[in-house]
Amino acid sequence: MILLHRLKPAFWDLPDTAGSHSGLNLKRKWKLIVLVTAILSLSPLVIMTLVDFNLTRRTIETETNTGMLTSLNTIAAVMSASLAEKPPGTGAKTLWDTAFSHLNTGRNNDLFLMDNTGRLLTPSFYYETSGSRTILDPGLFTGSDGIVHIQASDGTPLLAGYARITGTPLMLVQLRQADWLRDLWFKPRLKLLWFLCASIGFILLSIMGMATFLVGRIHTSERQRIEALHHEEHANRLASIGRLASGVAHEINNPLDIINQKTGLIIDLLTLGKQDQPDQRLLPLAEDVLETVKRCGTITRQLLDFARHMEPSVEPVDMEEVISQVLALLETDARQRNITIQVPPVPEIPGFACDRSSLIQIFLNLAENAITAMEKNGILTIGVFNEKTGLVTITVSDTGKGISPEDLPKIFEPFYTSRTDRWGAGLGLAITYGLIREMGGDIRVKSTVGKGTSFTLTLPVKAPRPAAADGTLHLPGSEMTVPANPVDDDTWGDRYAKP
Amino acid sequence: MGPRILLVDDEQEFVQTLAERLQMRDMDSYAVFDGPTALAQVQSHPPRILIIDLKMPGMDGIQVLKQVKQTHPGIQVIILTGHGSEQDKILCMHLGAFAYFQKPVDIDQLVTAIKQGYETALSNDQKTATCDRHPRTGSRQP
Repeated sequence: MILLHRLKPAFWDLPDTAGSHSGLNLKRKWKLIVLVTAILSLSPLVIMTLVDFNLTRRTIETETNTGMLTSLNTIAAVMSASLAEKPPGTGAKTLWDTAFSHLNTGRNNDLFLMDNTGRLLTPSFYYETSGSRTILDPGLFTGSDGIVHIQASDGTPLLAGYARITGTPLMLVQLRQADWLRDLWFKPRLKLLWFLCASIGFILLSIMGMATFLVGRIHTSERQRIEALHHEEHANRLASIGRLASGVAHEINNPLDIINQKTGLIIDLLTLGKQDQPDQRLLPLAEDVLETVKRCGTITRQLLDFARHMEPSVEPVDMEEVISQVLALLETDARQRNITIQVPPVPEIPGFACDRSSLIQIFLNLAENAITAMEKNGILTIGVFNEKTGLVTITVSDTGKGISPEDLPKIFEPFYTSRTDRWGAGLGLAITYGLIREMGGDIRVKSTVGKGTSFTLTLPVKAPRPAAADGTLHLPGSEMTVPANPVDDDTWGDRYAKP
Repeated sequence: MGPRILLVDDEQEFVQTLAERLQMRDMDSYAVFDGPTALAQVQSHPPRILIIDLKMPGMDGIQVLKQVKQTHPGIQVIILTGHGSEQDKILCMHLGAFAYFQKPVDIDQLVTAIKQGYETALSNDQKTATCDRHPRTGSRQP
């Protein structure tokens, strides 16, 4: 049962609903392939085996019968020659007793003499020699020799070969059980059957194996395609959210600063101006407003960070150094929460280049999230692997509370946060995702509730040129276009001024 | 009164309040609401410090910055914008801006930048006074 479970391909248990796998019913496909291929390949085999079986049986039958007849005829000829000297009847009996009685052996070789009235002259296995009684109907035996099917007195089907002895009214008869041939035929037939079964089994197994492989490949590629589609959709959605976010952030900044300055003026009037008796509550209130404005400012700044479309400067980066920088920033927080940070030896990554600040930001965001998820006591592991050529794999794993499967698809979206304090704007992972995509990399997450979360990043060793590959940069929320690589002030300013 | 400061922003409420706050801090500041007026003011009463927004209808802050830097390189320009990106910041600093702030701005930070700009302008004046016999218009303190 366990073996069967292990052999069962991945697509077998997929639900057959149309929506789940873009309408592919892989199980039915598999069955159809196996059925059609099995019929196509097995039917010629079975047909040929049957034909061969019949042919062989007939050949053996004919050969046996011919052999029987030949020997009967030979014996009959010998007897005829002997009897020509003596009269039949007693002569035949004497001849039989002296020469052929020992041939009359048993079930499959019952040899005896019979006269043309059907009376047996010599003893028989199947029939008793009982005086003048006609035991076998002489009408059955026509011609000089031949083979006929008869039935014994007890109903056993018999095969009777006969040959007339020339010059006498006598007939030499040999009886065999009709299924004697079947017994003779049994062994080769068994061999043939075995061979057939083994071939059918082998062919069926290979057909099933091949169908499983092919359908498995379809399943894999289909799943990859769907995953890629989802990923693309996700990226597009994030990009449009990013554009919206930056537009909103820009538009909010102006009125926000009006509030900021007006409140500042109130504070100025209260502190710098010579107010006689201001209400004691006014100043703290105004300061609260300023504090809130600052918070809004932080959010709009984070939004702009998220939607950032600037060209990162690609430079050679020492991964170990970056990690130690990040760890230095996290050390205090981790120590307070009694969290152990594990970093296995970082392998040498020749030629690794990327935007250093982005990389630090990515590490910081992921590690901070991990620490937040663990709250107290836990292990944060940052691993760097350089196993595939051209790719760097980074894992950031924690032993924290994990993310529920329902929340897992949402974590890279802006404003999704699990933090209940007011400082979690929910932009950390969205920014991280944007940065990784900009670097030409990818991020995946695995999480078990209660056990921990593991982020796996794949970054190219050589970072590609970022999105603005045509040399221009489309700034979100404004109609301005600036060249990514400035040459001199004039062209720069002009292009900036006249979009 | 301290250094003469010209503020340019199409958000009138904002710029007037900011000017008032600077005045309370003993700075001779006044506000205009668009680029051309600002340039005319620069010609007639050149300020020490120019604070401009980037996105304004008609003439935007980058154009004002460029023209002011051409005619009056001694004026220290501070950018104060709600729309800026990192790219804008690099561009403005490249064009000769003295400082770059994103709205909402903290008044103390702005005042510090103004003071620094004023000191830079003063030291530039001394250099031009010793090296150049014909100091350009607007680059000397009146």
